[in-house]
Amino acid sequence: MKDVREEDGFDIEALVGYILLAGVLGSITLILAGLAWHLVRTGELGIQYGIAGMNFFEFLVSDLRQLASHAVRPRLLVSLGIALLMLTPFVRVLASMIYFMLAEHNWKYTAFTAFVLVVLTYSLFLR
Amino acid sequence: MHLMWYFLVSLLAGFVGALSGMGGGIILIPALTFLGVDIKEAIAISIVSVIATSSGAASAYVRNRIANVKIGMFLEMFTIVGALVGAAITLVSGQRLLFIAFGAVLMVSWAALFLQRHVGWQPVVHQDGLSHWLELEGSYHDQVTGEVVAYRGRRAYLGGPLMFGAGMIAGLLGIGAGELKVLIHDLVMGLPPKVSTTTSNLIIGVTALAGTSVYLAAGLINPGVAAPVIVGIVAGAFIGTRVLVRLSNEAIRRFFMFVLFVLGIQMIIRGFLS
Repeated sequence: MKDVREEDGFDIEALVGYILLAGVLGSITLILAGLAWHLVRTGELGIQYGIAGMNFFEFLVSDLRQLASHAVRPRLLVSLGIALLMLTPFVRVLASMIYFMLAEHNWKYTAFTAFVLVVLTYSLFLR
Repeated sequence: MHLMWYFLVSLLAGFVGALSGMGGGIILIPALTFLGVDIKEAIAISIVSVIATSSGAASAYVRNRIANVKIGMFLEMFTIVGALVGAAITLVSGQRLLFIAFGAVLMVSWAALFLQRHVGWQPVVHQDGLSHWLELEGSYHDQVTGEVVAYRGRRAYLGGPLMFGAGMIAGLLGIGAGELKVLIHDLVMGLPPKVSTTTSNLIIGVTALAGTSVYLAAGLINPGVAAPVIVGIVAGAFIGTRVLVRLSNEAIRRFFMFVLFVLGIQMIIRGFLS
């Protein structure tokens, strides 16, 4: 078995690993910042709010709209942290698909990954 | 002071989850229900946190080249569809059913692992045509023995459909269902134990995302509980991952069996008492 990963200079394992790491760390940072800000502002350790039934894209759009209108609040940071966490596996699959397609020209695995991506996208639009 | 408790139980759940390849939900859900969270809400919170645990742990395994990205991707096709079906079933199920189903899944996993415990990993000699076509093979560097272990997977025709079932249980109960994925990798597909636990971590993240979407749309994800749980579980998983690469296969297996047994009994009792 030839190990091409060492030779071609591009390393899908490292890329996937760093996407996962960056997504999780970014998400944790946002959530911690939100909780800390809430603690400083109100003196309460816990934060209370609900996400009324909306799908992921509605949730993301409402967060980004608040961010754009500079309505940054502790709970917005927590929401953005959760949204980033949900995007992490999605971006990981997307990166794998691009890799299988462009770097490996492995159409079999490009098709498998595309299927996973389509089902995930569908699920994020569920209501 | 609930936030501190949510954080502490999540820290423990993340640690055990990373060690065993289970994802942490198996401990988190019983613990959250003890803290007064409704079981459906606990399931929803757990499945979000499972994205965090499995992604955090998988990031290390993938960079260590222990997890197999191709085998993971092939099996994800089955688990995500299963997770959507499972989560949809939970939304219409009763509480008691969820408790008993949770306990039953734990006990079945334990029993299967118990019966299997004297059999070590045997490399697959003859690979079937489909598994060969699917390129289910790889190698990794074992830090305990210092050797490069080459392996091939087999029986993809059985592993795929079984993974649909594992994905369904993951979506249904809000767990990573890593124990079932590991069993399928070990017993059906003939993967070495470390490859099975680490690849299952990779699959779990994507599967949990499919389940999370359903619970988010149903309004079951409470950010006030989710926030401390996510932070705690990632911290625990980080510590667990550091320990895993230094332990031998047999030590992981024994620890894993102990945890499955205790939690299985506990959930079944609670199901019947509820």
